[in-house]
Amino acid sequence: MAANFWTSSHYKQLLDQEEVDVVHPLDKEKGITLEDFKHIKMHMANYIWKLAQHVKVRQRVVATAVTYMRRVYTRKSMTEYDPRLVAPTCLYLASKAEESTVQARLLVFYLKKLYTDEKYRYDRYEIKDILEMEMKILEALNYYLVVFHPYRALSQLLQDANLNDISMTQLTWGLLNDTYKMDLILVHAPHLIALACIYIASVLREKDTTAWFEELRVDMNVVKNISMEILDFYENHRMITDDRIIAAFSKLNLKP
Amino acid sequence: MGDTNSNNGNNTNTNNKKPEWLQQYDLLGKIGEGTYGLVFLARIKSSTNRGKSIAIKKFKQSKDGDGVSPTAIREIMLLREISHENVVKLVNVHINHVDMSLYLAFDYAEHDLYEIIRHHRDKVNQSISQYTVKSFLWQLLNGLNYLHSNWIIHRDLKPSNILVMGEGDEQGVVKIADFGLARIYQAPLKSLSDNGVVVTIWYRAPELLLGAKHYTSAVDMWAVGCIFAELLTLKPLFQGAEVKATPNPFQLDQLDKIFKVLGHPTLEKWPTLANLPHWQQDVQHIQGHKYDNTGLNTVVHLPIKSPAYDLLSRMLEYDPRKRISAAQALEHEYFRNDPLPGRNALVSPNDKAVNYPTRPVDRTTDFEGTTSLQPSQPVSSGNAVSGNIPGAHGGTLRSGPRQMPVGGMQRMQPQAMQAFNNLASQPGMGSGMNPGGIPMQRGLPNQGHQQQQVRRKDTGMGMSGYPPQQKSRR
Repeated sequence: MAANFWTSSHYKQLLDQEEVDVVHPLDKEKGITLEDFKHIKMHMANYIWKLAQHVKVRQRVVATAVTYMRRVYTRKSMTEYDPRLVAPTCLYLASKAEESTVQARLLVFYLKKLYTDEKYRYDRYEIKDILEMEMKILEALNYYLVVFHPYRALSQLLQDANLNDISMTQLTWGLLNDTYKMDLILVHAPHLIALACIYIASVLREKDTTAWFEELRVDMNVVKNISMEILDFYENHRMITDDRIIAAFSKLNLKP
Repeated sequence: MGDTNSNNGNNTNTNNKKPEWLQQYDLLGKIGEGTYGLVFLARIKSSTNRGKSIAIKKFKQSKDGDGVSPTAIREIMLLREISHENVVKLVNVHINHVDMSLYLAFDYAEHDLYEIIRHHRDKVNQSISQYTVKSFLWQLLNGLNYLHSNWIIHRDLKPSNILVMGEGDEQGVVKIADFGLARIYQAPLKSLSDNGVVVTIWYRAPELLLGAKHYTSAVDMWAVGCIFAELLTLKPLFQGAEVKATPNPFQLDQLDKIFKVLGHPTLEKWPTLANLPHWQQDVQHIQGHKYDNTGLNTVVHLPIKSPAYDLLSRMLEYDPRKRISAAQALEHEYFRNDPLPGRNALVSPNDKAVNYPTRPVDRTTDFEGTTSLQPSQPVSSGNAVSGNIPGAHGGTLRSGPRQMPVGGMQRMQPQAMQAFNNLASQPGMGSGMNPGGIPMQRGLPNQGHQQQQVRRKDTGMGMSGYPPQQKSRR
């Protein structure tokens, strides 16, 4: 809660990529690969976003919910923590933490409503399941609920770099939203993620930001590496088809 | 923190089958009760911390079937991030999956300023020593300065929320308590009286009483001023009669009590006064009264020239922008004069220690909050149960546990908290143009970054990005 990221639990909890990329033994047993693991999490992030649009919460709530979800799966298996329940519950918990509480009743209503265009049966759970999972998620998060997001840093950095025109703002904002399809928020400080988005966008839009970046006391190698990861993600993204996600889900062999 | 095995929790009513987490404690009984739940006193059984006292706050399940109360979420969220000697320490969180209840375990503090003041007033009939008052105040400000520099406003500071440690390593150390019960404060003031929650108005800053929509850390400093005066005189400084209507009634009597002592606020002294809703709306009543004699010094029996009076009057400055901050107050001359403040506020080198009563423990209530304790529950008899006035000021019952203080803290401004605010290293930033307060320094050598070049330009990046103008950004 503290205003200072560097003394926050978020900072202390940052992980190495290798720590994030561990498939839980229970899921491994079922044949879940690292790829599957990532795909399912990405799918969940998309689902949380979709759900959030219906219950009308801010982007920040979505981002917090996705972060909770990703943190949960650094510790818990998908076998025991059904993604179809974890996704809506993370949104539920995040809405409370971010002071825009959504009623469980409303969430369940949309779970069922959204079912028609979902292949993964997010609709089988009821209010009481969400409430039970809420407590399990609180435990899994070890009660650390404050998350720092790159959005605020992004707009301030853009302004500072004098790049806050509509085109750059939209592009970087979109890039940033997409970073939640990856695990970057678990690994890197938020301002570095924001800088990577600006870096990519300034290259795409052919803005010369060299001098501006040079003035920042940041490790440009890290910023570039994050940028590469984002670009790699986009490149691979095209190959992630619905079929692959269905296949990954089916390995989990969850109850119908 | 927390325990993952608690879901084999069994029936908590059955003594033999206490949930695992509970088995690490000896439950002594109930020490408090409030709108949001119950507070229990327990002792740790484990050999490492054997006998250490813990206060366990149990949150009631929400009745509307909406899971963990947002209030509890906010309190946990906040307490997990903060750590300061003068702020109460959350030592554990427990969940009982069977009945879906949530427990917060805190280091137990035997005393609080409410009880200490009452003891001096009603029992020993003697004022609190200068050393103790100064030490309480200094530590309170020290904790508050920490919170304020982390953009946290307490918003419900009052003597019963200021705890003081009893015998032990931390004897006489002040702990600010009761955070996060502040969900209802999100929209400032509006909810003070919503939900039937009773929060005393005696420590409420004038800008809030006059309907200010935005408030700052200055509201806490007003409360500190009121507490300071109360420590000196043993009587609440501004004891207004609360108007109990919903929502958020105008508290004329409280304002009147303030005006009587401090004189009528004027636009010269407090320019933004004119913008406050109640000041505008209720012209005859508020603006009609005219008090101009400031009698603060006579009320608190302090010479006008004394540092104590100077500090107090700066805390009770009408204009919140002119009111002294916690950081400034810590630097005040008052704290540099003898007697100097100390860590153990209760025992000074010169004064003899006062024996304050311990908290009453209701030994008939178990964690379920209703049933009697099982006979085999270990009930220590060590605690003298001495008369404590429970709950809110104004003389409620003498027996039974106090009302759990409600109210609490919240971040200063939601937006301000969002990212890295300016507390982190500003040095080297010069211009104050620190975007997001990110500790980055300008003008340092380029770190091997020569020319920006991204490996490839992805054309079909599939950026399904959600542009910022979408309403979800609101």
